Amino acid sequence: MPETDAKSDHSGSSISADRLIEIRNLVKVRRQGGVEFELMVPAFTLAGGSFAALVGESGCGKSTLLDLLALVLQPTSCERFLFQNPAGETLWSADDVMALWQSGDEDALAGLRRSRLGYVLQSGGLLPFLTARQNLRLPLNINGGEDGYERLEKLAQKMGIAGLLSKKPRFLSGGQRQRVAILRAMVHRPALILADEPTAAVDRARARAIVDDFRRLAVEGGSSVIMVTHDPQLVEKLADATWTFHVEQSGDQLTRSVCVPVNQ
Amino acid sequence: MTNKSSKASTIVFRLALADLRHEWILSLCLMLAIAAVIAPLLLLMGLKHGTITTLRHELIQDPLFREIRPVKTREYASDWFARQAGMEQVEFLIPTILAASSIISVVRPGSRRSLIYDLVPTRAGDPLLLENGGVSPAEGECVLTDAGAKTLGVKAGDHIKVRATRIRGGRRESGAADLQVVAVLNPRASALNRLYAPLEFVLDVESYKEGLAIPARGWPGGTPRPPPSFDGMLVLLPEALRPVQETGLVINTGLTGIERADAALFLQRTGLRLPEGFTLYDLKTSQTAVQLSSYRAVRDKLRGKGALVLPYVRDLRLELPTGSSIGLAGLSLSADQMKRLGLAPLPWGALRESPPAASLFRILAGAQRQDGELLAEYREGAAGTLKFPLRVSGTTFGELALVPAELAGILRTARQRKVTYSEEHGDFLLQRGGFRGFRMYTRRIDDVPPMVDRLKSSGVDVIARIEAIERVRVLDRGLSRIFWLVAVVGISGGIAALIASLYAAVERKQHELSVLRLIGLSRNQVFMFPVYQGAVLAMLSLLLAITAYFSLAAVINFVFSADLDLGEKICQLPWHYLSASVVATATVAVLSSLLAAWHTTSIDPGEALRYE
Repeated sequence: MPETDAKSDHSGSSISADRLIEIRNLVKVRRQGGVEFELMVPAFTLAGGSFAALVGESGCGKSTLLDLLALVLQPTSCERFLFQNPAGETLWSADDVMALWQSGDEDALAGLRRSRLGYVLQSGGLLPFLTARQNLRLPLNINGGEDGYERLEKLAQKMGIAGLLSKKPRFLSGGQRQRVAILRAMVHRPALILADEPTAAVDRARARAIVDDFRRLAVEGGSSVIMVTHDPQLVEKLADATWTFHVEQSGDQLTRSVCVPVNQ
Repeated sequence: MTNKSSKASTIVFRLALADLRHEWILSLCLMLAIAAVIAPLLLLMGLKHGTITTLRHELIQDPLFREIRPVKTREYASDWFARQAGMEQVEFLIPTILAASSIISVVRPGSRRSLIYDLVPTRAGDPLLLENGGVSPAEGECVLTDAGAKTLGVKAGDHIKVRATRIRGGRRESGAADLQVVAVLNPRASALNRLYAPLEFVLDVESYKEGLAIPARGWPGGTPRPPPSFDGMLVLLPEALRPVQETGLVINTGLTGIERADAALFLQRTGLRLPEGFTLYDLKTSQTAVQLSSYRAVRDKLRGKGALVLPYVRDLRLELPTGSSIGLAGLSLSADQMKRLGLAPLPWGALRESPPAASLFRILAGAQRQDGELLAEYREGAAGTLKFPLRVSGTTFGELALVPAELAGILRTARQRKVTYSEEHGDFLLQRGGFRGFRMYTRRIDDVPPMVDRLKSSGVDVIARIEAIERVRVLDRGLSRIFWLVAVVGISGGIAALIASLYAAVERKQHELSVLRLIGLSRNQVFMFPVYQGAVLAMLSLLLAITAYFSLAAVINFVFSADLDLGEKICQLPWHYLSASVVATATVAVLSSLLAAWHTTSIDPGEALRYE
């Protein structure tokens, strides 16, 4: 992929060079059991190499936003949904995610998920039939990055799980499992790591330590992070930017939630 | 791109394998369940195949089951043999001779008593001999059946003396030969006293028995002049016979009927007027022809009664060079006998067994013909028109030209058999008119039924051991049906188990599969996950089943080994059956996994994120 060409093609774009994501006027409407939920994102930006937090009570729409950012959920409408990598190059030839959704290019979206995104799931999302090491190597194998095996061992050292790599997930504690999951999300050097309540199953002290390591390694590796949490204190001092949701009940049938930045 | 997708396939395959290993107890249970379906099927197929093979082997081993013989005696021309022998299914074909000619006396060594043996022609490549521990005998050699050798008390390598006997001119004659026994056949070949000798020897014996000389063997005899045959006999007697005497004439004479006849019949048959003072009888046979032996028998029975015996042939005609056609009657009587009929003597005299050619080719023609040679044509010959010279030796006494009765008889024989006139010998010759039977072997037992059908439809009624072959085929078909019935039930159960297990596995692993989708495997790649699992499980099950099959087959074959020949197995499967079972199992497994695979396509990568 001639990325330098892509850069020159999009040099006229209004997106600023240090912004990984720029969203403007995104709307996602969900209906469930006759009740309508509307998520609005008037303006969302994420700087490259930064650690952002989405904070809110359950049901506020933070998971929906995460699905949208993870490219597994199609926005109902959107004025602008652009991605760039930290160097300012566009990540794909059609830098407009909305355009990919509208053209139904599922393979391109899967390709992006595979190479440019990393995920840390609430439950870890580790494959139970693989050892920790095999789990960690999987993103490398899928992306053809077997040369990353060595880097993987070093990262495991830094994450404090080097001694656990030959174990299967069910022999790991909840915290160890989350550390493996975090490492798996970043081992193939994605541009963006999405984490959904990665420390929900651990006590607060341990959670802090995990998030601390997560942030440090992600930044070292050049990946941006968007982390969803219901606990603002967990990310208070760590997040470069924090976003929250204003939920308003408009009648019985409609709940509207608006995503806004929290000024620190 | 292909490289990339094949790499992805490898990853999915390894993941599928890792999952099976992770849940090894479940995998093992499923493997055992599938192997429990396949192993009995393999065993059943092996037993069926082994049983049929053993039965067929027993049939194939014995050439008797490939033998085809004619039911009735009839003549087969030489080109018939050439045509049949040229057929691809025919391994061996040899002519046989009439049963009456194939009797030969064998002298027991060190004794003077002789025994009657059945003489059977053979030649190189005879499966009956070669597959029963024999060899093909050369000239001067023979092969005996087990019974035949035991009766004589001889073994391979011994010499025996054989004699072909005949009665010629009322005398018993025999031609002898010394033969070396080169082999004694396995008892199953035949329970009879049989002697197998080269076809040439057997044909010589046949010719000798017909009265011919075989100079090469030092056996004396006549030239192959055809024997005369007649349509019937007229008997003239000075006194009428009593009924018991009439009956006496048709007993042991080869004749079947006697009737009083009148002058009109006498005129019709001989062209002569019946003189006063004779009673006329017409003797007939229901068989094809009256032979000279019948003539002799009747003549001897009426000795001393002043009887005249006149064998006759009906409707004889000769074409003459002038273009005219004359009617003929045969008459051979001595001068005395002619005198009793009130006629002048015949130039050729009384009827003889084998008159010299000089007195055979003579004719008393119509008054207008001069004495001398004329070339006659006989157009009723089986081998075409017969041309031969006749010496006109006077004028006939009646309405038909007269020839010796022997000549009339030979012309009648020429209607049915291949008779030619040889200018070199100045005589008629009887040609070998083909053979009266055959012995045929097909290459495979399966060739027998179609060959029998083919021969029957071409008018040759044959016998073969079709029932034995057909029995094995019916058994084979029956066992195959049972096998497929059991197989359908068993395989359906196996498929159901596999479908259910794989589908349940996808249901259980929805989260894991959605994680795979989320980290970037495509829908099609995840689709292959249960397909690979199904194929791997099925192959491992088959491996287990084949191992079980071989162990059980070994046990079964050991148990039955006492009842079987060396190398025979009651349970066996050829390798191509096993490779076919691999292909079939893989196909069934992949098809069974498709439902589960289709289920994976409904799994969304987003499910992984929303999983609580």
